[in-house]
Amino acid sequence: MAHGMIQLVPILIVAGLFALLILSGLRGRSRHAVEYGLNGSYTGRVGIGAGIASNWMSAASFLGLAGIFYLKGYFAMAYVVGWTGGYVLLLVLMATQIRRFGKYTAPDFVGFRYESDTARTLAALISIVISVIYCVAQFRGIALLVSWLFGIDYMPAVVIGTSLVVSFVVVSGVLGVVRNQKLQYFVLICTFILPLMMLTRKLGYFWILPQFGYGEAITELQQQFDFNWSEPFADTTLFEWLALCFTLMFGTAGLPHVLSRFYMVPGIKDARWGVVWGLFFISLIYWSAPAYGVLARLFEARNGLTLNTGADAADMIVLSGAGLGGIPLWAIGLLAAGGMSAAFSTTAGLLMTGAASFSHDIYPRLIRPDATEADKVYAAKGFFLILAFIVLALALKPWGMIAEIAAFAFAIAGNTIFPAFLLGIWWPRANAPGVICGMLAGLLISFATLIAGDSVPFIAQLFPVTSSAFIGAPLVMIVMIITSLLTAPPSAAIRLFLCRNVHDCMDKQ
Amino acid sequence: MEETSTQRDPSFFRPHGTTMRREVLVIKLILAGWLVAIVGFQILAYLLEVNYSELLITDFIFINLPIQFWLSGQFLPLWFIILCVLFNIWMDRHSAQSLEGSLRFRIRPSSGEDE
Repeated sequence: MAHGMIQLVPILIVAGLFALLILSGLRGRSRHAVEYGLNGSYTGRVGIGAGIASNWMSAASFLGLAGIFYLKGYFAMAYVVGWTGGYVLLLVLMATQIRRFGKYTAPDFVGFRYESDTARTLAALISIVISVIYCVAQFRGIALLVSWLFGIDYMPAVVIGTSLVVSFVVVSGVLGVVRNQKLQYFVLICTFILPLMMLTRKLGYFWILPQFGYGEAITELQQQFDFNWSEPFADTTLFEWLALCFTLMFGTAGLPHVLSRFYMVPGIKDARWGVVWGLFFISLIYWSAPAYGVLARLFEARNGLTLNTGADAADMIVLSGAGLGGIPLWAIGLLAAGGMSAAFSTTAGLLMTGAASFSHDIYPRLIRPDATEADKVYAAKGFFLILAFIVLALALKPWGMIAEIAAFAFAIAGNTIFPAFLLGIWWPRANAPGVICGMLAGLLISFATLIAGDSVPFIAQLFPVTSSAFIGAPLVMIVMIITSLLTAPPSAAIRLFLCRNVHDCMDKQ
Repeated sequence: MEETSTQRDPSFFRPHGTTMRREVLVIKLILAGWLVAIVGFQILAYLLEVNYSELLITDFIFINLPIQFWLSGQFLPLWFIILCVLFNIWMDRHSAQSLEGSLRFRIRPSSGEDE
């Protein structure tokens, strides 16, 4: 990872990949309906799954997870389990029911279910906060990649990365590029697995399935270098592991951009099977990510290098490990291109969703009640730039590794949106005052450690920044239940809607 | 439902109607399988580490991986997929039966969408 060196071959590969995605997106405009599975066919469900997976794959999955493994060993398994297990919650408790509501965004859902504009606006604000924090993680990934590609420092790389993201969104918007999610997932999986196969083959391990082959590296590290990956709770507690894991699961089931996938799917059956395919595609990446962290540590040990505990080095371990492993530069370029593509698509989607939330839910309600449709479009464009600037400012001095920053966004979602959806779907007595108090309590819990963690250490232990929803989400639900029971019930109309349209419980009463 | 009382509202812990009762039962079974696997494996790994230290846990290799790496990193995601497939199969059968019972004389749409 020589600093100051321009990586010409990887730059060309990254540029080529983006050109391919844009051209494919231009070509896809005419067959948009088929691409998104509107025919409800088997292929369509696989496409929905690929869409869910490519929507999900970000810099946190592509770069961050391996970095956490490199530094924290088994503790990082909480990310793998949390980010996959959340889909079970999503499928059995929410996917079908959300689809039956027929609303297109999280604020729409909250506003309709709780019959409250205040709750809707609060949900929109929270969605924007989650998007911003999630984007900071992506910007960090983009900046680290730009820094490596062009051999420049992190700070200018953040600015260049932001300019590239904004340009990408503008060019895509002007040209009317449709995101080809199947192709994008195919690219991501190939750019992630192929270099890993090359690395394990070079080591003489079982390279056909490197997801299992890397186990030999753990044994070698332990036997020859006395580096023990195997003790699961040597540096952490069972509570910390479970708190992080369940926070990520609750967050997965509460992230607005994940939930919104189910509003747009044509049928309920397609939505359900799309989740299964999506989970399978996501698991392919997560079965592989630990290998990069373990192999990088082995290459370092073989070269006599000590463990580099710096956050930047750990977040770039996928690339630096591949470099130490001696695979060709073009293969490392593939990794950089995959990481860049994952971070770009996630960032673009989140910023546009945040801007739409502002122009649709906040601008006409709080700022300009007489706004026309044209005004809203201008507001969305302006807020997109403001959001990008806010994320840029936060990414200049990030407070953690990529996966940790992303986990904070999951914690907020798990403490706010997840309880609002869960009780909104499964407890008809939940009402507007309940959800408003609950979401405010969730925000307070999410930021409690940042606000008072230093002065009250107990708060930091109970609600760790990345893991607060384990205790926080049940607490928020208790707040929602108590407040709802102390105030007037929701209207008979919405309770009837839940019974008839969402739960199909009128058959044999 | 027309009355203002909320006593008869269905909920997760008080499902109404055969359809919802069955669905909630399946959801509870799936969630039980999900929870027991996640928490159970971690408690198992913790107890192995506490009681046997490195002796057992580092020597217990399964498909090339230390047992806790395999259980958490490989098996649990696979288990989640299996749970999701089981849930979907049940939902498909259940919705097909409901359709047959309630819409016996209606011609099904050509798209095959039945929910």
